[in-house]
Amino acid sequence: MEFDDKVPIYYQIKTVIYDRIIAGELAPGDKLPAVRQLAVSLTVNVNTVQRALREMIAEGVVISQRGRGNFVTDDPQIIERLRERLITQYLKQLYDQLHRLRISDEQMIDELTAYIEGQGDSNDNNAKN
Amino acid sequence: MTTTLKIENLTYRRNLKKILTDVSLTLSGDKIVGLLGENGAGKTTLMRLIAGVAKNAKGMVSVNEETALPTRKRLISFSNPLGGLSASLKITEVKSFCQRVYPDFDEQKYDQMSSFLNLDESQRLSALSKGTREKLVISLTLARQASVYLLDEPFSGIDSMSRKKIINSIIQWKPADSLMIISDHYVSEIAPILDEIVVIKDNTVAVHKAADAIREESGQSIEDYYESLYGEADSND
Repeated sequence: MEFDDKVPIYYQIKTVIYDRIIAGELAPGDKLPAVRQLAVSLTVNVNTVQRALREMIAEGVVISQRGRGNFVTDDPQIIERLRERLITQYLKQLYDQLHRLRISDEQMIDELTAYIEGQGDSNDNNAKN
Repeated sequence: MTTTLKIENLTYRRNLKKILTDVSLTLSGDKIVGLLGENGAGKTTLMRLIAGVAKNAKGMVSVNEETALPTRKRLISFSNPLGGLSASLKITEVKSFCQRVYPDFDEQKYDQMSSFLNLDESQRLSALSKGTREKLVISLTLARQASVYLLDEPFSGIDSMSRKKIINSIIQWKPADSLMIISDHYVSEIAPILDEIVVIKDNTVAVHKAADAIREESGQSIEDYYESLYGEADSND
């Protein structure tokens, strides 16, 4: 996996795992891979994975069970809050970038609607998964 | 047990030329540290002094508070470029040689790495490509059960596929409580696996910082940050 070397790696690992949780690739209650296995699959340092895990545990999204490993929380409220947080975060990035181009709010909505309509084919592909 | 490597006021000259001046550095914990610097900055010399291969320096080096050379050598596994061995030796003979020299050589671990890296044990040293030779060096170095691993420019002149495999085997087989130092003059290829970087510049340690702290504080990549240390001096325009 390729990381952006300008952004702290632990933060990017968190983003990858949070994305997988919200996309449903990691379901509530699922066990996360072992730390070293995660490090190997992401080609990062074991300590960096551990730091990412510590933060995810502190945020309540990952639950650490002594001797058993790390699990995705099965609390639907926490997952829902994470989902909202991620959506807001990605929308903010998009909004800020378009805003910098001096695109008006109405124009943004029109452009986005038109873009989504143009995405018909790839949406069909996504639906199969 | 946590590994601590401590260097205090280390000064080294060769033929009246200063190579390292007053180097002090403490590295602690199960980290991977990138030792960076231009060609000729003294990275290899520093590794040789840590490993006790180069001698007659002023100052002190200790690993887990052990300063005596024989003890230190037992705690340190230094990548050996295999220069002293006959080119007609087969890989399997090089392995037996290392088993005899190093009581902490773990054959099972070596075999796992060797098969992961697709080494052909019947090949002779003279027939190895640069990448294959480096894979062998890494396998032999990591097969020892040491507290400190010193890898001297393991990626120079290596193609990207071999590099990825070597990086992967480092992540998989570096013992959990050991300290590893990897020297390189081209940082971007190893940046994602580094906990900390140490930059050698003007004969001494110019920077010792956590990699993610650099990204967080400066918003720069490790490579850009490293290059910024050299400022205008190197630019030709």
